[in-house]
Amino acid sequence: MNRPIGRPWIDRIVERGARGLARRTSRRSFLARLGGALVGATTLPLLPVSRAHAEGARVAVPDDTGIEGPEGDPTRCEYWRHCAIDGFLCSCCGGTQTTCPPGTEMSPVTWIGTCRHPGDGKDYIISYNDCCGASLCMRCRCTRTEGERPVYYTSKNNDLLWCFGTKSRAVHCSVAIVLGQATKA
Amino acid sequence: MTVRAALALAAALVPAAVGAYTPDVEFALNCQGCHRADGGETPGSVPAIANHVARFLAVPGGREYLVQVPGVAQAPLDDATLAAVINWMLAHYDRAHIPKDFTPYTEAEVAKLRKDPLVNVEALRTKLLKTIEPKAP
Repeated sequence: MNRPIGRPWIDRIVERGARGLARRTSRRSFLARLGGALVGATTLPLLPVSRAHAEGARVAVPDDTGIEGPEGDPTRCEYWRHCAIDGFLCSCCGGTQTTCPPGTEMSPVTWIGTCRHPGDGKDYIISYNDCCGASLCMRCRCTRTEGERPVYYTSKNNDLLWCFGTKSRAVHCSVAIVLGQATKA
Repeated sequence: MTVRAALALAAALVPAAVGAYTPDVEFALNCQGCHRADGGETPGSVPAIANHVARFLAVPGGREYLVQVPGVAQAPLDDATLAAVINWMLAHYDRAHIPKDFTPYTEAEVAKLRKDPLVNVEALRTKLLKTIEPKAP
């Protein structure tokens, strides 16, 4: 059986496509996209974890640079955001002042107060989320009570454990997330 | 200028925390800790207000309930501020369910209602929810 001398139509289409692609793109751009895809894929599983952190990042978080001493140090009870914190600082327990240590889950139900930023003198709304799912961290224990009310005002009392809506009710440590500026009426 | 000096200056210039915050900030400080920024449900702990809270306005007793429910009635806010926060909350979290003939809560209405506490909150809530959604269990 004789085949035609010219190349089959499918070969011509593929060759045209491949040459066009080669003209328009470089191997480097392919590598860049592949790299982006790989990084994106590794970031995806982290998204739910960093959502609460992103909540703080969406608002204008005041600049801490230039604050001297413990008021500017997230690992100290005196840190300005900690003016109403009661618990162990996540920044001493394997997390940061806005993220939970690995293996713990941030409670969506939180204790909320305001603290004054020593740099700009403005009041900010601070959310003290407990990180839940491990035993007490026992490092950097802080008890500060600005704006706290007696326990019969449960929503304004920070002696309570605030692990609600989490798989475990065991509290490990607490973070301090800026929710926004406390604007006067 | 050192931070300490700046702080002292700021303390001198900024008056002490008096006067009400804007309704959204009052909500954040007094309600959002449990009800969350998005007004969503925390199953087993906190019911949803988003896309739900204004439905109480459509049934008899619901308008009163929204002021008398302990979290609202006992909020450490004066009557005028509390009325503003409730009105803001309805518009912000559930505008779609606000009845057409709704009139905003006033200071006087809130003052009157919160002096009349609910004895059995859970029973009243269940009854109201059944009126809102007769098919609900």
